[in-house]
Amino acid sequence: MHGTPEQLIACHECDLLLERVASQPGEDVICPRCHARLYYTTNNCIERLLALSVAGLILFIPANLFPILSLQVFGQSQSEIILQSAMSLYEGGLPLVALLILLFAVVVPLFQLIALFYISFTLHYRWQGRLLRQAMHSYQHLRGWGMLEIFLLGVLISIIKLKDIADLDIGLGLYSLGALILVITLNSIFFNPHQIWHEIHQHRQQDNTDG
Amino acid sequence: MADHLPQYHSARERGYLLCTDCEKLHSISQEGAHCDRCGARLHSRIPNSLSLSWASLLAAVLLFLPANLLPIMTFKSFGQGEPNTILGGILHLLEQDMLLIGLVVLIASIVVPVLKIIAMTILLCTVQFRLQTNLRQKTIMFRIVEWIGRWSMLDIFVIGILVALVQLGNIAHIEGNDGATAFAVVVLLTMFSALSFDTRLIWDNRKPDLPSGVSDKKDEQ
Repeated sequence: MHGTPEQLIACHECDLLLERVASQPGEDVICPRCHARLYYTTNNCIERLLALSVAGLILFIPANLFPILSLQVFGQSQSEIILQSAMSLYEGGLPLVALLILLFAVVVPLFQLIALFYISFTLHYRWQGRLLRQAMHSYQHLRGWGMLEIFLLGVLISIIKLKDIADLDIGLGLYSLGALILVITLNSIFFNPHQIWHEIHQHRQQDNTDG
Repeated sequence: MADHLPQYHSARERGYLLCTDCEKLHSISQEGAHCDRCGARLHSRIPNSLSLSWASLLAAVLLFLPANLLPIMTFKSFGQGEPNTILGGILHLLEQDMLLIGLVVLIASIVVPVLKIIAMTILLCTVQFRLQTNLRQKTIMFRIVEWIGRWSMLDIFVIGILVALVQLGNIAHIEGNDGATAFAVVVLLTMFSALSFDTRLIWDNRKPDLPSGVSDKKDEQ
């Protein structure tokens, strides 16, 4: 175990010191002690993230502007967009719960999509990217705090709870939300922090030699 | 990969530390400085990991009582209806033969938070009292806990959706109650507890020269 830091790697979950080995696409390098996935190679990582983040940003608009569900009882009808779940709780006197729903179901997913778009766009088109490192840190630290898939399960449970007492219509917003969740899930599968940090490092070095 | 390693050594023992954000390896003398690749502050272990994790967990345990005893929402139809607690809502679903959905809510709102609190207590005790058994199983348990904990927010989202949707004046009307705030904070605190917990502390207990380390290695091959 006498090598330069470049030839060595430590497991992020158990701190085991290991020698770096080459990884082929589709191959994971696993920690022999705690079985954490150390690093791997994703083909066309940046390009896939660029395409998916554009798709996500487009889908975000209908998912948030069109009603998720509409409800009809005795001729009265009421429809709902995602933002209203937060707003009506705020008006009902539960500001903290409203804030959490706003953050987890609207702000965090949007912010992550924007960060990912910025990272992949800048790296792909070799733009200057002054905020690349900040964008990466934000995306990495926000992982797990976007909860749209849990929101979707909540919608399904609400449908089952209400179906006996009222007529429910599923809106365009719910279909867009489903597609958006698919895109966000694919994003987190293709997001390869090792590879992107490596690219950002090269990108910065190139900038330094150019300027 | 570990064939040519005589023994397991942590990076810290060998004088290295890993950047937690970009996973670049640095010399341990860089502790407290900024990573030259990603700019994050470098720490060999998360600072005050144990105290922060214990504190969040204890606060979550305390708030778990009001979260389950106070009503989380009230459904009113033509002036009738009473506040529901989490457990009351689940029992109501089960009474109406909505078994599957009742089980989903039961698992997300009660089983997962309780298991998460128990799991975090086991993990924190492991580090606190330097226990050396089943370290890999405990690491796997932490991964499961970290992944599944956020699903407890389910009930909070359901309340939000129902309150926004069922606003038909006298005919039917749903409002949220304070139990929902307590429950949301419980989920938040257990997530913070897992976030501040450094899994590497589990493995620091292990003495590399113990014979158990050698036999463990043979098991894998």
